Amino acid sequence: MTPLRILILEAQVPFVHGGAEILVRELAAALTARGHHAQIVAVPFTDSPKDEILAGADAWRLLDVTKAAGGDVDLVIATKFPTYFARHPRKVLWLVHQHRAAYELAGTRFSDFAHTPRDVALRKRLIDTDTRMLRECVGHFTIARTVSERMLKYNAIASEALYNPPKLAQRLHDGPYGDYVLTVTRLEHVKRVDLAIDTFAKTSASMRLLIAGDGSIRHELAEYIERRGLRDRVMLLGRVEDDALIELYAGCRAVLFAPYQEDYGYVTLEAFLSRKPVITANDSGGTLEFVVDGVNGYVCEPTPDALAAAANRLAKDAALAAELGARGHGVAAHITWDNVVDQLTANPQGPRRSTSVTIQ
Amino acid sequence: MRIVVAEARVPFVRDGAELHAQSLVTQLRRRGHEAESVALPFHGRKHELLEEAAAWRMLNLSSSNARPIDLLIATRFPTWFARHPRKVVWLIHQHRAAYDLYGTPYSDFTSSDADTRLRARLAELDSKMFAECERIVTNAQNTADRVQRFNGVAARPLYHPPPLADRLRSGPYGGDILLVARLEPLKRVDLAIRAMAHVPPPTRLVIVGDGSQRAALEREAAQSPAADRIEFKGPVWGDSVADLYAGARGVLYAPFDEDYGYVTLEAFLAARPVITAKDSGGPLEFVRDGVNGFVCDADAMALAAAINRLADRSLAERLGRAGQSVARTITWDGVIEHLLG
Repeated sequence: MTPLRILILEAQVPFVHGGAEILVRELAAALTARGHHAQIVAVPFTDSPKDEILAGADAWRLLDVTKAAGGDVDLVIATKFPTYFARHPRKVLWLVHQHRAAYELAGTRFSDFAHTPRDVALRKRLIDTDTRMLRECVGHFTIARTVSERMLKYNAIASEALYNPPKLAQRLHDGPYGDYVLTVTRLEHVKRVDLAIDTFAKTSASMRLLIAGDGSIRHELAEYIERRGLRDRVMLLGRVEDDALIELYAGCRAVLFAPYQEDYGYVTLEAFLSRKPVITANDSGGTLEFVVDGVNGYVCEPTPDALAAAANRLAKDAALAAELGARGHGVAAHITWDNVVDQLTANPQGPRRSTSVTIQ
Repeated sequence: MRIVVAEARVPFVRDGAELHAQSLVTQLRRRGHEAESVALPFHGRKHELLEEAAAWRMLNLSSSNARPIDLLIATRFPTWFARHPRKVVWLIHQHRAAYDLYGTPYSDFTSSDADTRLRARLAELDSKMFAECERIVTNAQNTADRVQRFNGVAARPLYHPPPLADRLRSGPYGGDILLVARLEPLKRVDLAIRAMAHVPPPTRLVIVGDGSQRAALEREAAQSPAADRIEFKGPVWGDSVADLYAGARGVLYAPFDEDYGYVTLEAFLAARPVITAKDSGGPLEFVRDGVNGFVCDADAMALAAAINRLADRSLAERLGRAGQSVARTITWDGVIEHLLG
């Protein structure tokens, strides 16, 4: 194998460190471990006000990512919107997500795009421009089937889902099936933590909910827990260090993860690698690629009643939790970084497309 | 405060400017601020400069994830093109090829009409961006003089400790003259190699660093009568460099019109004397001839004479100790207090 000089393109949101940032760093490490020279190029991204979205995309178009110290860059790997606006003859896409507020989130409470002529026009423009930029890529991969389906639906571009193991994969382990259910999430509306809280108003009293993670609505959620009188049942742990998180996974009865249309979400795989079943909702997106109802977890209606019923079954029966969790482990153990690197660095098929397009 | 430090980087290169920005982020965090760096790729080729500046202009860094960013600290061209209501510039350098390096062999700008227009345009845009900023300080007097001369901006230097500050220590005064630099034309490593022809054994020259000129410099060294006393260490980082400083007889650092140059302060913190040249810029803000080092003409003979004076070990030690007391007055507390206003 000839080592390649590779730039991984990242859309940086200053002061936010979530799954996508981890993904990019893990990819860089996996490429380096295989002998490639990989470096991350990050450009900050902001989506407020909305007028800034296309300006941020233009910045990528203006930058030269074909050259680096000592010569040409052989390959660039684009990740989130708008990194795929960069110009490079060998641009391979491993799509984390597009600008979701302009896509499937539009019209939901999670999007700031309204049904006004101005917003509709901006959405159309974003999707059209995205389509052109995405077509320039010589390889199309996504981090999950949900993301592939979305790109097919909105941009008519086919792609392959390429899964990667979560960051903690090597360190996660099993343990006792204790008396709490764990949720690991950033505290944002789209993660629907309020739904998890509501669920625990209806579960058997022996089971608590521990929520690991921080985010912009932490205070709001803390107040909500107070208001609902769930202070003894539901605990916000805030940001948890890796070592502590591994132990939280190891000791839980089950993991509850029911976000709205999550793209991938490491949480499912982390739970499985800890041999814990996952309770999720039938509109949670990425979790559904792995969670099979009654086999390795439960897929419920996104209501407190349905989620509570699943939690109660596992609360009553630790052996059932262990059985489902073991089956989950079998699913997660097959996902490796080696496969990701092989696919992303494979020689592109077909003629290279011109990348001389400029955005207007 | 939530603070973004803006930097510009050539992919796959680590240099002083990058360390500068990273040190600033670390020091801000140590004092309880939320700080993060933002770094766009930068190549500095003449025909792309305006695009690279435009890319920065596209960025509105006034908020992130719906929370305000309180302050933007810009460091080098073209980071001050970013949009933010409260920008402070801690100027490392402008695009020198369009400014002070113009007319020297180190600039890719010619006297053609197109290049002249581009230089004027860059100066005009820089001035306009500086006018948006709340405050401008520079990393060195040399940089402050330039921004005064070319953009009419009054700025004062704000010195900061080098990234290695915490690791440097002094050790025995060994037989090697140390040179630490990226191996690029501006660093004038060739002068040091030529000087060695006039330095008797057993004094050796140890060169740390890598760069585009490495092969050419190695060829030149191989042809020197002192070939067996010139060693290229390649890129060395962290404690290994600190060890080299700790055991050297002295440090040779004679770049052309350097802005600041960590090497001077690193040498001083390790109590090593510094040999520099009259046209080396930044080092002259700290090196006093005969007090803590030597300031020579920029030619091989003069540098060799200074190296030969350091054959006197007690002189090397006396000068080195004097340098150390200068370098120790420079602290991060002072820097951050001033930057945050």
